[in-house]
Amino acid sequence: MIKKKKILVALAGQPNCGKSTVFNALTGASQHVANYPGVTVEKMTGSYRDHGRKIEVVDLPGTYSLTSYSLEERVSRDFLIQENSSVVINVVDASNLKRNLYLTFQLLEMEMPLVLDLNMMDVAERRNIHIDVKELSKQLGIPVIPTAIKTGRGKKKLIKAVTAASGFGLHSGLHLEQPFKLILVDYGPMEPFLERIQVKLSKEIELDKNYPLRWLSVKLMEGDSEAQNLISKNCPEPDEILKFVEKQRDTFEAKYDEAPDRYVAFRRYQRAETIIKSCVRTTTASSTTLSDKADKLICNRYLGPLILIGIIYLLYYLSIVQGYNITNYTWPILAKIRSLTESILPNPGFIEEPLIRSLSLWFVDSINALLNYIPIFFILFALIAILEDSGYMPRMAFILDRLFQRFGLHGQSTLAMVLGGIYLGGCAVPGVMATKAIPDERSRLATILIIPLLNCLAKVPLYVLLINIYFSEHKGVAMFFIATISLLIALPAAKILTLTLLRNKETAPFIMELPPYHIPTIQGVLGRAVERVWLFIKKIITIVAVIAVLIFVLLQFPGLNLERQAHYTKEKEQEISKFYNRITETQYAEQLRGENLMALILYWDKYKNARMMATNQKLVKKLKEKFEKENPLFFKIVQPKKDKDAKKTNKAFRKLFKARKKILRELRKEKIDNSFLGRLGRDMEPFTKWAGFNWRINVSLLSAFAAKESSVATLGVLYQQEEEGENLEKRMKKGEADFTSLHALALMLFMVLYPPCIATTIMVKLQTGSFKWMFFSMIYPITLGLIAASLIFTGGKALGLNGLQAMAAFYALALLTTIATGFINNKEII
Amino acid sequence: MQKKNLAICLLLFSFLLTTAAIAHTTLCSCYDNGDGTITCEGGFSDGSSAAGVEIRVVNKNKKVIIKGKMSEDSEFTFDKPKGSYQVELDAGPGHLVEVDGKNIFE
Repeated sequence: MIKKKKILVALAGQPNCGKSTVFNALTGASQHVANYPGVTVEKMTGSYRDHGRKIEVVDLPGTYSLTSYSLEERVSRDFLIQENSSVVINVVDASNLKRNLYLTFQLLEMEMPLVLDLNMMDVAERRNIHIDVKELSKQLGIPVIPTAIKTGRGKKKLIKAVTAASGFGLHSGLHLEQPFKLILVDYGPMEPFLERIQVKLSKEIELDKNYPLRWLSVKLMEGDSEAQNLISKNCPEPDEILKFVEKQRDTFEAKYDEAPDRYVAFRRYQRAETIIKSCVRTTTASSTTLSDKADKLICNRYLGPLILIGIIYLLYYLSIVQGYNITNYTWPILAKIRSLTESILPNPGFIEEPLIRSLSLWFVDSINALLNYIPIFFILFALIAILEDSGYMPRMAFILDRLFQRFGLHGQSTLAMVLGGIYLGGCAVPGVMATKAIPDERSRLATILIIPLLNCLAKVPLYVLLINIYFSEHKGVAMFFIATISLLIALPAAKILTLTLLRNKETAPFIMELPPYHIPTIQGVLGRAVERVWLFIKKIITIVAVIAVLIFVLLQFPGLNLERQAHYTKEKEQEISKFYNRITETQYAEQLRGENLMALILYWDKYKNARMMATNQKLVKKLKEKFEKENPLFFKIVQPKKDKDAKKTNKAFRKLFKARKKILRELRKEKIDNSFLGRLGRDMEPFTKWAGFNWRINVSLLSAFAAKESSVATLGVLYQQEEEGENLEKRMKKGEADFTSLHALALMLFMVLYPPCIATTIMVKLQTGSFKWMFFSMIYPITLGLIAASLIFTGGKALGLNGLQAMAAFYALALLTTIATGFINNKEII
Repeated sequence: MQKKNLAICLLLFSFLLTTAAIAHTTLCSCYDNGDGTITCEGGFSDGSSAAGVEIRVVNKNKKVIIKGKMSEDSEFTFDKPKGSYQVELDAGPGHLVEVDGKNIFE
């Protein structure tokens, strides 16, 4: 048997050329999504069969060019260079040939067997664009196959051409004579320079073997950083070569007064122009197409921003607001998973909880908290897919880019920021996820880092609580302050990050041609949404698992000493004997002795939980029948009806149940205060005292977040209950007499800036691909938060301001900083 | 040494803070105790307690008849009002749950 060589085909093309459709048409259902190693760019692979041979297809990310500006471009390029694909199919939009050719020229330079798929011929024909396919093929030196893959036209021919082309090529090791001879772009006066570099490079055996030298020469001449890396990695004396290249670049620039990279781009555009002139004929009288007409409206100076705001609001409303509403219906499913887990775990004791039980439940809670996002994500991903497919995305960037550039952000940061919560209520997780679309690496990182500073919905309850207590007379003002201050901190933060830490990150020049509008297909949109949600689930669960266990350990250990344990055991015994005393007269007293008491507690708990889940009369009736059958005695105590003894027992038992909850709560709190985490809170006091946080606040903040008790409940625990029934507000005012509105403001501001939640953190890791950035994204908001809180507290105290005055002063400061930083030129400081 | 400790402290501190309240759904369920009182239990979907959160009972004209806060056990018990009513657990914008009295039974 002859083993047939595997054929690997790469699909390359610019965004919006119908590449995904070609991919789907070729591979059908046999698709597989993964990630390119080390980065977050999705890698779609699939396969089809032709004459019994399996042909594997890789769908490269859509890119306008193959420089190293964006992650997608780099990934595509690395794949083409390293993976030895047998054939590259370059999908181009026939109705936009000129722009699409820019990428084609670069693929040609990489000297791999190339097939040009002249796609969307139907659209071109509708616009009366006629393309001379033969002439185009001659001019480029590669096979050109006209298709309209959406309707299936040309698919067979394309497959045939791929198989034919696969036998040849630089990487196949066959070096057969090609039926087509690649015709490369002529760089005119730059050619002698390229020639010199190429001669120099040809002496490097390693390079010559692995890379097309002309391509490398052009890249080096362009000053491409990845090409320079290639030299550094593959040559024994890279510095010498790089210096030589630098000299060539300088000479060229001096002689022709043009930056080499711009000149390269210019020649490519010129070549595209020539080809279009000889191959394409347009026969319409009116030169404005429907897309152009739409753009007159959508990109209009005044109307454009309005439409944009409308679209963004709709996106926010549908995904965040409505997504949250849907979670009301999906949450019970997750709650069910939790109760199922609970039922198979060992039962808890009166105050003892088996480790396996607490760890397992902790784990399920952590995962559930993330899974609760799915409805939001699904809607969001579907809407983003629509924006991408329709071609509105680049227009959005176009409209907002000028404003956002001032802060080192990108036009496409808007979407991410709106989702993160520009005013009140967003969610950082989808926000960070949406940064994926930003082509500029520096802006992308800046956006990722500032999103957690915005107001996510989860922070709202705490604001409301503090405002109700300390700013009850100025609720509106305080809420407005909170809602807008986050943006006023985020924008300068983005700018400062851009000027400092991100200074050396690569930025892409904002060259963006507006692709024509498309009507997205339902299949494409839903498919992508499902795929991305699935990817999210797969990725997030493993990371959460590790982190959840780690935090669990920090919270649970070292635990209580024997003396305190004895104290709680004594309390427990006291409560139990109180209970028996209360029911001693009843007929149930004897029946609830010993083990039966704990059994009743569990039964009661189980009934209560099940009762909560039952939403209608019928379900409740069924539930009651079930519980009565399970234990008629216990059921009588749970539902005493007219039975006097049962009523009395019921009342006593409720008290016991409540007392148990209280003991458990205190025990848990003491455990946390005493844990590794609690000790950390104490150690932090010297640093946090400037912000007005004493160790108790520190511990509560830490435990609240780590233990996922809501921030609201945390503050409740902070101020020990003194009298039964005294409400939180009173306690807060009483418990901490010196806790002023200035304290509250400092705490609130710290909350505004507090580090991203665990889901966001994981998202940051996924989107930046680095743990370094993940840790940074956690540390810098704390630092910033502490600085801001200290400024408010210490500064406010020094100036004798009250909470409201400090609020106004801080707001003015933030506003001024925002305006001032907006005027600093990004380049001046660099 | 001091500096190193501080760095470790900061790192740990931030690490722990990251589990901050995640996007959560506000939950509230109520049942009739059978003795003329209604008990509502609330919380957030991430397991957080709703202690201290405002809870209101309104009549059919949306007039507030009972107002209170969730207890430390994240519960609130009130006398069953006459006529139709609705329970509102309000943890701020985007965190409002409404339970219709019709759906509260024994």
